[in-house]
Amino acid sequence: VPLPLYYFLTIAAINILMSWALYLPYRVAHLHFITVANMALSGYLAGYLVGTLHVPFGWALLAGLAFGGVLGYLVSLFIGDAPTFAVVIVGFAAIYITRTIIENLKIVGSTLGMSGLPSILGTPSAHRWLVLGLLYGLLLLAGFLIHRFDHSRLGRAASAVFTDRELASSMGVDARRLGMLVQTFSCTLAGACGVLYAFIYKSLHVDFFTFHLVGIYMTAIFVGGYATQWGALLAAPMLYGLPLLLPPAVQAWRVVIYGAALILVLVLKPEGFVTRRFVVNVERTLSARRRRRNTILKEEL
Amino acid sequence: MKKLFLVAIILMVATSVFAGSQVEVKEWTIPFLNDLSGPIASIAGYLDWGAQQAAREINANGGIKGIPVRVIPVDTAFDPQKGTVEMAKVVEYALAALGPVYEPVIQAAMPIAVENQMFSFNASTSFEFASKYFPWTIAYLPPTEKRLGALVAAWAQLYPEMKKVVQFVENTGTWPLMADAHVKGLTGLGLTVEKVEVPADAVTFGPLVVKALDAKPDGIVFVCNPEKISKIIKELKGRGWSKMDHLLVFSSGDAPELYSAGGADINGIVVYNYINPFIDTPRWNNFKAEFAKAYNGLAPFSLSPNYYDAVYMLKEAIEKTGVTGDPKKLKEERKKIADYMANIKAFKGLQFTWDTKDGVPTNKPAYLFTIKDGNKVLLKEVK
Repeated sequence: VPLPLYYFLTIAAINILMSWALYLPYRVAHLHFITVANMALSGYLAGYLVGTLHVPFGWALLAGLAFGGVLGYLVSLFIGDAPTFAVVIVGFAAIYITRTIIENLKIVGSTLGMSGLPSILGTPSAHRWLVLGLLYGLLLLAGFLIHRFDHSRLGRAASAVFTDRELASSMGVDARRLGMLVQTFSCTLAGACGVLYAFIYKSLHVDFFTFHLVGIYMTAIFVGGYATQWGALLAAPMLYGLPLLLPPAVQAWRVVIYGAALILVLVLKPEGFVTRRFVVNVERTLSARRRRRNTILKEEL
Repeated sequence: MKKLFLVAIILMVATSVFAGSQVEVKEWTIPFLNDLSGPIASIAGYLDWGAQQAAREINANGGIKGIPVRVIPVDTAFDPQKGTVEMAKVVEYALAALGPVYEPVIQAAMPIAVENQMFSFNASTSFEFASKYFPWTIAYLPPTEKRLGALVAAWAQLYPEMKKVVQFVENTGTWPLMADAHVKGLTGLGLTVEKVEVPADAVTFGPLVVKALDAKPDGIVFVCNPEKISKIIKELKGRGWSKMDHLLVFSSGDAPELYSAGGADINGIVVYNYINPFIDTPRWNNFKAEFAKAYNGLAPFSLSPNYYDAVYMLKEAIEKTGVTGDPKKLKEERKKIADYMANIKAFKGLQFTWDTKDGVPTNKPAYLFTIKDGNKVLLKEVK
C-alpha cells in the first residue's frame, strides 16, 4: 500500500469507528464523549505494555479493549440513564481528567509523550498490513453488530428511548440497562481504537486526544446522519479526506467549513444527509429487486 | 599505444568521478512541514518566511551547486492526522525536509521520516523532542536542563538577596521540563522554589497570584503562555509587587503577545532568549530589514532565524557531501545528508558560529535582557 494511502485508510477507519462509538449511545440520546478519554487511556496502556514492558501486541490490544469496556461499564453504572446534558458533562470532565493524569504521569512520558513503539510482526510493511487488517476487520465486525442492534428489538427500544424516555419506560423498556449496554459497547470500541491509533503513529502524545476529536466525530454523525450507522460511515472519511485534496488556501478554512456544514445541516436537514427514511427506501428498492429476480428465476424453472 | 591506453583510462576515471557528483536536478526542493493554518499559523508564517528568505539569498548568490533551491510549504494544520499523510507524501520523493513544527505533529509524523531514513530538521523544538529521532533530525538547541539551569542561575546571581522563588508553570509540551531545569539551576545556588500551576484554560489570574504571593517570594519565574504572563504581571503589580527585575520570563514567553498585552506594565522585567537583536553584522542587519519590510516594521522574534539557518545547513550538507539529487541514489544521499548534519563544524549561522556534535549544538550562547519602554536592552550574555 502506498504510504499516504495507508495513513488515509487507517485514520479514516479510526474516525469511522470512533464516530460509531459516539453514534451508538446517541441512539438513546447520550452524547458520550468519554469515548475520547477511553481511547487515550487504552492507547497509553497498550503503549506502555508493549513499549516498556515488552508485552506482545495481541495481549496489549486485548488489555486496551478490556480496560475501555470495564471503565465504560463502571461509569455507566452511574450515568446509564442520565439525561443527555449530564452525560455530556461527564464526558468533558473525563477528557480533562485523563489529560491531566497523562500530563503528570512520568512513566508514559508526561507532556513529552511516548515514542518508538515497535513494528508489530517485525517489519514496517508487515506492521502496516496487520494494522490495516485489524482495523478493517474491526470495522466489519462493529458495523455488523451495530447493524444487528439497529434492526433488533433493542434498536427499536433505543429509538423509543430517544423519542421519549418516560413513555419508553412506561412501555417496559429498561432505559438504564439499555444505556449501560450501548455505553459499555462504545467504550470497548473506543479502547480498541486507542490501541490501534497508537500503533498507526507508533507514538503517543496527549494532544492526539483533544476536544478537536470530539468536534470531528460529532460533525461526522450530525452531517452524515445520526439516525443510522451509514451517515458516519460516509461522512467520517469524507470529512478527513476532503481537506487533503483541497488547495492549501482552502484547506486553511477547513474548520470554518466543518462548522458551517454542521450549522447548515442542523438548520436545513436536522437528521443529516443519510436519514432513516433514505436507508429504508434503499433497503426496499434492493429487496424489491431481489424479489423480482427470484420471481423471474422461479418462472424460468 | 601504452600512453594512449593510459590517457584513456585516466579520462574514464576522471569522467566517472566527475559524473558521480554531477547534479541530477533542475531545482533543489526542500519541503517544509509547517502549521500554516490553525492556532499557530502566524508563528508558522514567520518560520516559513525565514526559510524562504534563506532560499531567496541562496538563489541570488547562484543557488546550491549552481542550481536554484525552492522551499515548498506543506501545511500540517496543527493536526497529527494531517501531518502523517503529508509526511507520508514527502518521504516518497524528498532528499531532506524541514519541520514538522508543532510537537504532537512531530510525534506523529517523524516516525515516518525515521522509518524511511529521511532527514527532517525540527529546528523549532527542544533537544528533548528532537533527540528521539536522531540521527534523522538534529537539535537546534542544546539540552534544556544544562542550558536553562545556567541561564536562570545567572539571573539569580544578579540579585544575591534572593532566597525564595515562585515559578508559574503551564503544563504543556516541553515547558514542565524547562521549569524543572530552572528549579535545578536555582536550588543549585541554595534557593528554594515553589510551583504555581497555571491551567491551560485559565482566564483570570487573581487566585493564582494570591497563592504565589502567599509564599512570600523574592523572585518569580514565568513558564507559561506570553499573554498569560502579561496578565499575571499586571495582577502582581496591582497587588503591590514592585521589584520588576526580580521577574524572569522564559524564552517562549518572549513573544509579541507579551509586549502587546503587557504594555508599560512589563517595563523592568527580565527575559532570556537565544537570539541577540543587537548583533551588528551585515547579514543580521539585512535579515532584520527584510523582516521589517515583510511584517510592517516588526523586529524578528526569537524563532525567526531557526529555519533560515536550517536551509543554509542543508545547503552546506549538499555541497560538502557531493549529493547529486539523483532519485536512484535517494537512500544513499539521504544518509550522507543526515551524517553530515549530525557533525557540522563551525557552521556560520545568522547570529553566530557553532558546532554540532552527534546532533547536539555545543557552543551556542544565550542572553538575558531587560525590558525598557517595550524594547529589549541587553543585560548579560551567558555561555
